[in-house]
Amino acid sequence: MDEGRKVISDDFARQLSPETALPVAAIKTLIGVIRRSTNTTIRGMEAELKEAIQLMEDKMETDSPDNSRSTISLTSGCQLFLRHVSRFVAESVGEEGFDESCKQQLLHRGERFAEVSETSREQIARLGHNFVRDGTVVLTHGYSRCALHLLLMAAETKVTLACSLREGRPDGAGFKAAAALSKVGVPVTVVLDSAVGYHMEMADLCVTGAEGVLENGGIVNKVGTFQMAVLAKAYNVPFYVAAESYKFARLFPLDQRDLPKGKIPRAPFAAPEGTPESVATFSPSVDYTSAEYITLLFTDLGALTPSAVSDELIRLYGEA
Amino acid sequence: MLQQCQRKATCRCSTVQNRGCGVIGMEQSYRSNMRSLSVDYSHGGKPTGFDVASMDVRAWLQQWPRVLSQLETLVVGLKRRQVSGPYNCAQFTVELYRNLVGSCKWGTAGQLMDAVREVGKELVAAKPSELAVGNMVRRVLYIIRDEYESAFSAGDGSGGGQAATSASLTSPSASRGGGGGGGGHGRANSRGESTPRGAATGGAGGAAGTAEGGGLGPSLTGMLGGQFGATDFGRSCPDLRQNVVASISELMTELRDMRGVIKEHAKDTIHANEVILTFGNSATVDAFLKAAAGGAKDGLNFRVIVAEAAPLCSGHVLAKSLAKHGIDTTVISDSAVFAMMARVNKVILSTHAVVANGGLIALNGSHAVALAANDLSVPVVCVTGLFKLCPLFPHDQDTFNCLLSPAAVMSFKDKDSMRNVEVLNPAYDYIPPNLVDLYITNMGGLQPSYIYRLLAEYYHRDDLIISPSDEQAS
Repeated sequence: MDEGRKVISDDFARQLSPETALPVAAIKTLIGVIRRSTNTTIRGMEAELKEAIQLMEDKMETDSPDNSRSTISLTSGCQLFLRHVSRFVAESVGEEGFDESCKQQLLHRGERFAEVSETSREQIARLGHNFVRDGTVVLTHGYSRCALHLLLMAAETKVTLACSLREGRPDGAGFKAAAALSKVGVPVTVVLDSAVGYHMEMADLCVTGAEGVLENGGIVNKVGTFQMAVLAKAYNVPFYVAAESYKFARLFPLDQRDLPKGKIPRAPFAAPEGTPESVATFSPSVDYTSAEYITLLFTDLGALTPSAVSDELIRLYGEA
Repeated sequence: MLQQCQRKATCRCSTVQNRGCGVIGMEQSYRSNMRSLSVDYSHGGKPTGFDVASMDVRAWLQQWPRVLSQLETLVVGLKRRQVSGPYNCAQFTVELYRNLVGSCKWGTAGQLMDAVREVGKELVAAKPSELAVGNMVRRVLYIIRDEYESAFSAGDGSGGGQAATSASLTSPSASRGGGGGGGGHGRANSRGESTPRGAATGGAGGAAGTAEGGGLGPSLTGMLGGQFGATDFGRSCPDLRQNVVASISELMTELRDMRGVIKEHAKDTIHANEVILTFGNSATVDAFLKAAAGGAKDGLNFRVIVAEAAPLCSGHVLAKSLAKHGIDTTVISDSAVFAMMARVNKVILSTHAVVANGGLIALNGSHAVALAANDLSVPVVCVTGLFKLCPLFPHDQDTFNCLLSPAAVMSFKDKDSMRNVEVLNPAYDYIPPNLVDLYITNMGGLQPSYIYRLLAEYYHRDDLIISPSDEQAS
């Protein structure tokens, strides 16, 4: 059994590359689990998959000791895949059991699913880049592959486009995105997270990515997104979110702290020397932005209003 | 003969002034153009199916001169604004398509869809700002897809799960299809009436509505069900022509009856002694207000304030018509809208188009009215038929706008003394969805946030882009 756990864990580590999104890596790992599996019952197979998911979640937590990475998208991607498996079973396996041909069919579909997930970033960019008009000033936050892809595609087709990025404390991810944009000739300014209010009146639109898209159409994203969204609303600046559909999670938080345990990772944040012991520091690395602040979500399913997200989720999980 | 027809059409157009002439007059002239087309069924050689790669759609349509000249007349009519207004545009577009599907020999469903798309490009290019034309092209394409897929899913239903398309897995369209191939129209109807209304009445209806919403659009569910590739539209489907023509005829009926259905909501919307403000002229608003006023017996007493909608002042026409019906009517200038808003109970607006995010493309000046209403918390109600529902996004004020002749704003007499002045007369305004409180449509009352669901109901994702100009806005 430990042997099996090690294979899964290694496979997952191999799949995780900077260019692959966490959920896609997880889905590919799960396909590997099915391929290797010798289980002949569908129950057994599902149990095996669930175990693998648990393993990956644990691994994410142990690998980043300070919990700096959110596992929301990992869980949502895996849930989606599990749902996919059980739907497949309900449709085509029936009572007589799970044989080799079923397994092949399941693998085939799983691979297509992974393929589609991989191309979704391209689709989102194609959908969203038209929202960025010539000469607009875009305010974005942190480093999101999805939002960046969209901006790069917009930069290809537009004559002028200026981007302001927020530095994205604590890990300074804004600089990484700024470098990518400036390489293609987009005028980029990196601004302080705390200066978002100063810059909002100059912005024409805001685009961010998301760690997870929640059931009410809100998002969980890098800390600082929420204040940007609130300010955007105050200034009537449209606030767009670019996110793949495998990030749709079945969570319905009521406030910032109402996320499942372990889903709000802490960011490293040390008090300067000389601070009394009694002063506590706290720095979450993600925050929750509720649906009312979001204008539209660009997903591979189309440009959705926040209420459309809950619709999709209910349709998928509701008919069990 | 065709050339003759066209010449005739052109002549007639040149005598009709582009602006300032009532739409009805233009429609009549368009109609008479249509009548003057005589029928010629003779064509040399065997008719061939349409192949988008190798032939131009006009060249292909030459085999059916009647359809071709109908296309030409409509294109000319659109260009010359003989055919204008969303309703007329939609109606003539659907008429053209019914003839095209009914009388041309188009081959497979895929070839038919190519032909529909190519004709659609011509029509949209003739007048891009008439968004209803593109909407109808998409509706026709959706009808073809729907009929084609339901023909096969009904046939495959007994053969086990593996052949059923994902569309039928995600939604009860499979069970709808179970009625057999001939059940096409009944299905379309039940989809049209039950789903949105049920879900629109409140949050409770949501769950019932979602299951139906699967449609042909993309969804998480579809993605999981293996709905990745495009459907193959190359298979032969013997009843397709008949079913599609029947569905298109139904669409025409839907268009025709639309105002009547919308009118039914008038009594629930407008109450006794209310003050209603409206902007410009619209046949739908006119019918709606008259329905609310009722007859001598069940008459309702309310006041209407009409903002004139300068520079064309179409509001005057509406005011006259309402006054003739015995409704207490006041005309105000557009600049007095805010001043009057304090005593208004409801604002009723018509629209040129409803866009994908639930916003409006409406008569120039409507945005100011909506903002004034919003400032004083007066509800804004938009009455519109759903053929105006456009699946494109307005990215900014200019995307769907066009400029009209500046003569209405400033007389040409002054042109010498005003040499350096630019005079603009934009046709439309974009009103963001948060300024509209309610849509009253032929599907009942809807919230702006519900619009996205109707899009999946009416249009297929792959059909959103018809002409290159759409690509900017999708």
